[in-house]
Amino acid sequence: MAELSLTSIRKTFGDATAVETLDLSIANGEFLTLLGPSGCGKTTILRMIAGIAMPDAGEIRIGGRRVDGLPPEGRNVGLVFQSYALFPHMTVAANVGFGLKMRKVPRREAEDRIAAALDLVDLGRFAARYPRELSGGQQQRVALARALVTEPDLLLLDEPLSNLDAKLRDQLREDLRRLQERLRVTTLYVTHDQSEAMALSDRILVMRAGRIVEEGAPEALYRRPRTRFAAEFLGQTNVVRLIRRDGMAMLPWGEAMPDAQSDSAYVSIRPEDIALRPDPHGPGRITACTFLGPTVEYRVELAERSLRVRQTGSGTVLLTEGTGVALSLLVTPHPLAEGMA
Amino acid sequence: MTRLSVPMTAAILLLPGAGYLALLFGLPLVLAVLASFGVLTRGYDGGPTLAFYAELFGTRAYVDGLVFSTYLALVPTAVSLMISVPLAVLLAQSFPGRRLFTALNKVPLVVPGIVAAFIVMTLFDRGGTAARVLAPLGLDLPKLVRDDWAIGAVMATVWKTVPFMTLIVGGAMASINRDVVLAARTLGAGPVATFWQIQIPLALPGITAATLLSFIGGMGAFAVPNLLGPVYPLPLSVHMYVNAFERANWGLVAAMGTTLSAISCVVLLAYYRVTRGLRAAGGAR
Ligand SMILES: Nc1ncnc2c1ncn2[C@@H]1O[C@H](COP(=O)(O)OP(=O)(O)O)[C@@H](O)[C@H]1O
Ligand SMILES: [Mg+2]
Repeated sequence: MAELSLTSIRKTFGDATAVETLDLSIANGEFLTLLGPSGCGKTTILRMIAGIAMPDAGEIRIGGRRVDGLPPEGRNVGLVFQSYALFPHMTVAANVGFGLKMRKVPRREAEDRIAAALDLVDLGRFAARYPRELSGGQQQRVALARALVTEPDLLLLDEPLSNLDAKLRDQLREDLRRLQERLRVTTLYVTHDQSEAMALSDRILVMRAGRIVEEGAPEALYRRPRTRFAAEFLGQTNVVRLIRRDGMAMLPWGEAMPDAQSDSAYVSIRPEDIALRPDPHGPGRITACTFLGPTVEYRVELAERSLRVRQTGSGTVLLTEGTGVALSLLVTPHPLAEGMA
Repeated sequence: MTRLSVPMTAAILLLPGAGYLALLFGLPLVLAVLASFGVLTRGYDGGPTLAFYAELFGTRAYVDGLVFSTYLALVPTAVSLMISVPLAVLLAQSFPGRRLFTALNKVPLVVPGIVAAFIVMTLFDRGGTAARVLAPLGLDLPKLVRDDWAIGAVMATVWKTVPFMTLIVGGAMASINRDVVLAARTLGAGPVATFWQIQIPLALPGITAATLLSFIGGMGAFAVPNLLGPVYPLPLSVHMYVNAFERANWGLVAAMGTTLSAISCVVLLAYYRVTRGLRAAGGAR
């Protein structure tokens, strides 16, 4: 286990820039997530850290040791590929044991460590199987065991859950979280799925087109994003322009914005942070109502725009289309940085 | 309507395709095997016999010919393999001049074997180009044409075989998931260990297929050893020619052909044994 730092890392493919001059650091034992849309350079960053892609410029240090320039086999980094990249001609046990064999770990010890790693991911029964005889979720866990068994300084995970169906994804997400809490291995996790990022991470870096847009702990980033991009990427939101009247900042439905910073023009309001009350004279009107079970999603039409509002599905009487509503804020929304709107 | 059993239905459905294959591939082979035992043998009506095999295995020149044919299958195949597999890996990398190199490597593919044999002959025979170039330097070329070890024939065959083997092995290597190779590297394997532990096993179906084709080609090689090989022994293919067209001993020819095919079959079975584990593991990707 060790800390990781990237300094001024850059990577281009031909004249396309995959990663723009980028700094990043992870503390020892931290779980950091790179969150961003497909093609924003996440995989490229992982590959440069693992040593299977070369940065054009910059420095990579693991545990203080400079590793850019070292071949991948000299870095002691565990990488779980998005495609898992299991060795198809080897059994599960041989896959997991490959790294130990390369490190010339004595056979008896290797056998014990393989068994322990397979137990860790609950695959002890499958040691003698071949990868193609396993389900996607099981293959994913083999890849994880294979990356962990060598006790890497750093664990890199490239969208490890993206090829699994939703139910399995939730299950494995929990397993992964518990595993990391137990092992406390420094982890860099890559995903385009914001709920994965929030469920797993100590800290999230939001990426866009090869740059880091914003960073923060999951809750802070969700509740108080500074940029419109992060606000929208972390979940549904209403980016709302404040109306200035008599030196006061007003929300589109006429409510005065509490403690509004004078210079902020936009705020991000999460759908669940708006309360609705039926009121025939209210400023809003329901134009769509979608019952999702745990929640109900409404589309509320105002004079100039429409808003998304989410309410709990528990016990409420659904507001039908056409119902007039009054709106009010449940929490003080956070202003977005100027210019990013 | 009577219901047919499933295997029966399958057999009927398969008949047009399978029957065609059986007729085209199976029948000539069956006829050759029968002829080698004196059944329906051209120019012979003495009834079933083992006399042709007795003649084949009782004649020193023929036994030596059989060994020599196997040698001509084995040695060029082994040499080509040692050149082609590293070459396939090399050609998968990018380096300056790669396109030109790849194109040049394909030249022997379009040159017929007999032409290759003549090229080797004009280059390396006594008084050939190489000898004349080396003579002023005081260097003497060893005997390479019609020598005891058939080096000239091996060279011509290797020259023909390497490009085609490189093509097949290169294709097999290219079909390996790149991430799998990179995964080996991140797990601590250097390039050499990755080559032996990952790339070779995963390309094995392609490697063995190329080996097999080259081996079987060598077993039946005729023109190249005839031109470049030693005076003795002659490969079995040449004995087949002589016995057919000069002695009209078709039974013996059939016995020789059957024996060559049997050896190839043994190699084919060995191929299936080697690759079975891989195919069972889904490793042919
Ligand atoms: N080997 C490559 N050659 C050319 N372009 C590449 C290569 N790998 C990645 N890219 C480009 O770099 C950008 C970032 O890719 P990637 O790191 O895979 O993104 P992500 O993992 O976030 O989806 C993309 O625009 C992609 O097309
Ligand atoms: Mg990616």
